Amino acid sequence: MPKLTRREFLQASGASLFLAGLPLPGFTKDEPPGTISVIMLEGGMDGLTAVPPFGDPNLFKMRKSLTPENYLKLNSFFGLHPSFKYFSGLLAKNNASVVHATNFPYTKRSHFEGQNLMQGGGLSPFAETTGWLGRALDLAKTPGRSMSLDMPLLLRGAHENDNFFPASIRNSGSLTTNLINMISNAHAEEGSSVFNKVSKKSTQKDSVVPRDPASLAKYAGKAMAKKNGPLSSVIKVDQFDTHASQGADEYGRHGERLAIVDDIIAGYKEGLGDAWDRSIILTLTEFGRTVKENGTWGTDHGWGSAALLAGGAITNSRVISKWPGLAERDLFENRDLVSTIDYRSVCAACIENALGLDHDLIADKVFFTPKLPRVYDFIFS
Amino acid sequence: MNESFRISQKLGLMFLPNSPIPKDIKQWAIQQLHSKSPALGVKRIRSYHKPEVTEWPKSLQPNLQKRDEMFWAYKENKEKFRRNMPGFQTEADKSRNRQENLMEDLDALKFAHRNVYGEDQLRLRFSSFWANHFRTANIFDNGNHIGHAIDEAILGNINSDFSNMLYKVTTHPSMLIYLDNTYSAGPNSNEAIWAKRNGRQAGLNDNLGRELLELHTVSPSANYTEADINGAAKILAGWGAEPGRISGDKLISLSERNRKIKEIGGTLNSWDYFKTNYAEPGNKTVMGRTFGPGKGALRQLTDFLADHEHTINHITFKLAQHFVSDNPSQTDLDHISRIWRESNGNLDQIHTAVIERAIASKDAKFQWPMNWLFQVVRLSGANGFLGWEEEQNDDYNENIMRTRKIFEELGQGFWLPGQPNGYSSDKAEWLSGEMFERRIRFATALYNGGFPTEGVDNIMNRIGANKVTRELVGSVTGGRRKFVALMCSPEIMGLENA
Repeated sequence: MPKLTRREFLQASGASLFLAGLPLPGFTKDEPPGTISVIMLEGGMDGLTAVPPFGDPNLFKMRKSLTPENYLKLNSFFGLHPSFKYFSGLLAKNNASVVHATNFPYTKRSHFEGQNLMQGGGLSPFAETTGWLGRALDLAKTPGRSMSLDMPLLLRGAHENDNFFPASIRNSGSLTTNLINMISNAHAEEGSSVFNKVSKKSTQKDSVVPRDPASLAKYAGKAMAKKNGPLSSVIKVDQFDTHASQGADEYGRHGERLAIVDDIIAGYKEGLGDAWDRSIILTLTEFGRTVKENGTWGTDHGWGSAALLAGGAITNSRVISKWPGLAERDLFENRDLVSTIDYRSVCAACIENALGLDHDLIADKVFFTPKLPRVYDFIFS
Repeated sequence: MNESFRISQKLGLMFLPNSPIPKDIKQWAIQQLHSKSPALGVKRIRSYHKPEVTEWPKSLQPNLQKRDEMFWAYKENKEKFRRNMPGFQTEADKSRNRQENLMEDLDALKFAHRNVYGEDQLRLRFSSFWANHFRTANIFDNGNHIGHAIDEAILGNINSDFSNMLYKVTTHPSMLIYLDNTYSAGPNSNEAIWAKRNGRQAGLNDNLGRELLELHTVSPSANYTEADINGAAKILAGWGAEPGRISGDKLISLSERNRKIKEIGGTLNSWDYFKTNYAEPGNKTVMGRTFGPGKGALRQLTDFLADHEHTINHITFKLAQHFVSDNPSQTDLDHISRIWRESNGNLDQIHTAVIERAIASKDAKFQWPMNWLFQVVRLSGANGFLGWEEEQNDDYNENIMRTRKIFEELGQGFWLPGQPNGYSSDKAEWLSGEMFERRIRFATALYNGGFPTEGVDNIMNRIGANKVTRELVGSVTGGRRKFVALMCSPEIMGLENA
């Protein structure tokens, strides 16, 4: 397997940033209480590597080469991967939590159905053309402009959402608003509205922003910290799909990915500044990975995973879990960690906290599941 | 747009400035499926002179065995750097190792050159469609193989049957490496038994088996089970040669490497490489069908899947959405799938059916970023990419960026890292401010540094630009603004007019 240096690795990491939900000036009287940011982990993050339940005697039986020896002890049962250096500090400061054995209620192990569902938040894959975060921002009446290169499904739904990913094209000069407006006018609605966003952005002077994940997060944090700044942002990190040579420690393939997540959280904290106190950041992944190590030093597609939550909105760090067990009989179809906490409930709690929406409304209009359990108090009390 | 250019936009890459416009566009389009496909390109770009277009030198198109050996040598040299051996210490030594042994940048440029200079525009578009359907994205270990897969497994089989292309892609090292099959061993294989006895590890990995069903053939609509995926993975176990170093801590010679590779798989041909010791003995079942042991089972499996009704419907939709319309009609789908069934998956006939529907449908078809860029370069006669000598020597060109950088900035390319599902042909996936801004920027850069030979009026007359486009271009002043406005018009982007 390739061993990239950390620098090559960051360059190749393909993380991308999306900012969303910028309130139009003068539009909202009641400003939403906080900001919500999502780190999408594409390919299926291994919750058992990220937050190893070393207290479960089956962990080391089921996977020999995948658990780091130098994990940090969170309590008598759960450990934390050594790549999470910054995140561990936040846990110590009561500004972060972990939810374990959790995911969306999707068990068919397809990346593409799973990714669609975790972003769309619908009742079945490909059922929705908007995303749960986009719908939530729309409900919170926070139209706006937002700021990666493509627009993720997660954010679609609020009309004004936009994206941001600094361009660097030789000889492309500065953009003239007038030209872009003319082009926009020639397009029908869908093309026109997109060129309009380009036009608005061309009037803003963004300083040069590096494209590594931590810098993007810092940029997003700074933008969200501003008055009338965006209320939400999304950063995507790919290549969690480690079927072979997954590795255990911070130098392994999975460990290097986790370190990027750690860098992103640190970047947010720095960029947000004082706005950290009213912020929540959560991770999202399409599935966890098989409990048992496969034949090629990796893991295949599973179900339950772990999620990281960080932000000043959390005032009491904990590991939130209803542990299902790792013995073969405890696993979903004898192979996957069971998800005992519906992750949609966690997303709903974060929306409730950041956007000030009522849980029942979120359950009904964002996730189309009126009876979705409310887990707010487990996270934010 | 006049009919000739409308068709060359939807199905091709636009007619080059000096190329004659055929009278019967449909007949031309169908004949294009069999046009010659030399890899055309340019050696160096000179600002004010049109570069001479010639065939890529053979020396820059190594065969598969050479590509395998180059990647092995690259990794072997990396080990020498690690040991700080003489000749493997400086930055210059490092960059020489990359230049001598890695193919991805040159292959990406060759792909771009073909698309910018080729007369076989329809073949190239169909080739890109399949390269995307069977995407093998860059995970570095397969960097020397992606270009070979596109040229030989896909373009080389563009006039064949779908079943043949499917088998050739599935067994290609680019796919076997990308989806981690090269180390996969059957749970009851000799390798797994040996490993168990010796406290080592070997076993199955279902990555390729899963995507073979989900993405390449029947799709989840076929309701296959985890057991079917497992069956496919067991059939696939044993396929693929290990890329890179194979000697642990030891440095070995090329002849030793080749002897070992031959010992393990019986051949040096990594495109037909089956390790009997990794194969799962006994019968396997996939979707109700039983397959016997041995190497031959994979061909039976891919043939079975290639013919499957769910495969036909799945890929018919993808073809129609890529070439015919953003929202293909039932008539479009019925026609293509009927021809697929009647011809038993003959690609010439399937592609002809796609051509017929694309012509019959008057819907606009949104163009991918890369195809838009190729089309804009062709229409304008601008220089969009470096010459192969400049790319190879890493020469700085003040006007044109490195090929890898161009595709990165575009947000689309076959040599970038990514997921095996490929890029969507649905325009909804591409409607983003950043993506649209890139089009304005690339058009600007082509005008500023690409020295286009064709003026906007010429281009508009030649393509028969519509009223909206002419008004848009007329409403802005200055050569650069007019150029950018034309290239970002709804008509050239393949979107509807205001």
